[in-house]
Amino acid sequence: MTAPLVMTLRGVRKSYRLGRHAVPALQGVDLDLRAGEMLALAGPSGSGKTTLLNLCGLIDVPDAGAILLRGEPVHRLDERYRTRLRRDALGFVFQQFNLVPVMTAAENVEYPLFLAGVAQAERRRRVAQALERVGLASHAGHRPDELSGGQRQRVAIARALVKRPALVIADEPTASLDSQTAEAVLELMRERSREEGVTFVFATHDERLSSRCDRVVRLRDGRVEGAPATPPTPPAPTAVAASARSAA
Amino acid sequence: MRWLKFAALNVMRNRRRSLVAIFITALGTAALLLAGGFALYTYDALERVTVRESGHLVVGTRQHFELDEDVPLQHGLDDAAALQARLAADSAVRHVLPRVEFSGLVSNGEKSAGMMALGLDAAAELRAKGPFLNVVDGAMPDGDAGDAGDEADGAAWVLLGAELARSLKASPGGRLTLLATDTRGALRTLPVRVLGVVSTGVPELDRRQLYTDLRGAQRLLGSARVSTLQVFLGGMEEVASAQARLQARLPGLVVRSWEAQAGFYESVRALYHRIFGVMGLVIGVIVVVVVANAMASAVVERTREIGTLRALGTLPGQLLRALALEGLILGGGGALLGAVAAVTVSALLQVFPVQMPPPPGRSVGYPLQIDLDPLPVLNTVLLMALLATLASAWVARRTVRKPIVEALAHL
Repeated sequence: MTAPLVMTLRGVRKSYRLGRHAVPALQGVDLDLRAGEMLALAGPSGSGKTTLLNLCGLIDVPDAGAILLRGEPVHRLDERYRTRLRRDALGFVFQQFNLVPVMTAAENVEYPLFLAGVAQAERRRRVAQALERVGLASHAGHRPDELSGGQRQRVAIARALVKRPALVIADEPTASLDSQTAEAVLELMRERSREEGVTFVFATHDERLSSRCDRVVRLRDGRVEGAPATPPTPPAPTAVAASARSAA
Repeated sequence: MRWLKFAALNVMRNRRRSLVAIFITALGTAALLLAGGFALYTYDALERVTVRESGHLVVGTRQHFELDEDVPLQHGLDDAAALQARLAADSAVRHVLPRVEFSGLVSNGEKSAGMMALGLDAAAELRAKGPFLNVVDGAMPDGDAGDAGDEADGAAWVLLGAELARSLKASPGGRLTLLATDTRGALRTLPVRVLGVVSTGVPELDRRQLYTDLRGAQRLLGSARVSTLQVFLGGMEEVASAQARLQARLPGLVVRSWEAQAGFYESVRALYHRIFGVMGLVIGVIVVVVVANAMASAVVERTREIGTLRALGTLPGQLLRALALEGLILGGGGALLGAVAAVTVSALLQVFPVQMPPPPGRSVGYPLQIDLDPLPVLNTVLLMALLATLASAWVARRTVRKPIVEALAHL
């Protein structure tokens, strides 16, 4: 049985202005992300990986095309709704970890739950569980500068997963780690994906990471290699974004 | 509480920068409070001096306040004793003091000098105020001995301003003659005995000022009138109501408040208001600039972190509030410290008095004191905290609303 669609992109285009010129970053990209899969976006620098990742993470908007989160169109939502969707349905892992330096590991992991208004007792329980799952239960009170690179990325993964998102966006998550640590972090994400049914989408240059993913989508000059010329019709909208709207 | 903790932790990130902002805010607040406290003390002191001199209310004829006199006591009050009794019957009135103001010459037989004279009821003045003049040589009138009618030689007492006494080579026990035109325009004389030498603290005034017995003054001027009646009340808070009540009872006369008589007090108040108003504005601008500068640096340094927090689902408004809270901590903390410093200085001045030099035109100094009322202190602290909060929100607004992709790419 095919896993349900988490995110769908159809005919997505994005260009950036460079002085008076518009530089195309994505030129009609179609992509389906299914629940529980690990997908790597590969391609040379400037191929559009990060732009596509930003669009999947709802931190940028397309010039044209459609983005659906669990069947609900989200590409035209205003920033307030997109913020709430990011808060409730998406997780982020960054190349430089991007932990808040004044917060402890536990506080960093707790932050998304605090934003979502989860009760304090429940927050504590889930933070302890998340840190336990990434093997950092004993480091809960440590600040990021007291942790190694691998430990920081584990905290970042715990922060991304603690709210049980539908999709985790990871931009070069192993690029700042040595090979052994990168391997461990990768294995951790694979394990979390399998156990929690979370979809991971990575932008990566790292062949080790690509080879461990369920699927690799290669981009070149803003297009998916081997993609059909005309994108298929987007599927009908369903529930998640509507619930985000009602939450807002 | 979580946002407050987050803000406090962020404030402590760059301790030196935050401490400088807090220190400057504290300094500005303390300066503002001390200057304001000094102004309040000055107003209070001037108020007390003015009221002591003129009474809370002054009763006279309309012409006395509005017109010049052709002859002495032309616009004076008739039947002062009856009027005095009517005023004293009011429950708010504590004392009613008659005054006769006139000018003329004072002579030692060889030399004459111009004088500004005040005839007063020494016994009533003493009852109302205690020793009411600064006698530097000789004695105060005791209220009985100085009564001209009781003197065997008919000589009334006088107290001379220090410079006037020096000019006339007069000393306590000496004899002088007062010369003035009476109510019919005829020149009259009055032999007087020097009871003492006084200092008003204003050398210019000491050159002309002379105090004498009320009855002696009336005898010299050939009239039983008085220039005004000064009314002393239980306190400043009774001035407005008593003025209205007494004015209603005395429709033919004018009842003026002490403020209407106190041109000097009003001038000083207006001057200080301007000086401390400008000072407050400058200090407010300094606090805003310092906190805004500290926050601007902090926000720029944290642009990528702000982008991360927004990516995680933080609303721009939430971030703006968190950053404004940092300004509140800097400004509020600094202002609180400043208030504590100002209160400490004020208390220390009570324990270790500092004497200020005489102001221009005066010969005596005054103690430096700072009046710090809780409400102005609280208002100043709140104002500083508010300014710092708004300044922080202002400098943070752009970064907080920056596109997340741009913020995340910030180096």
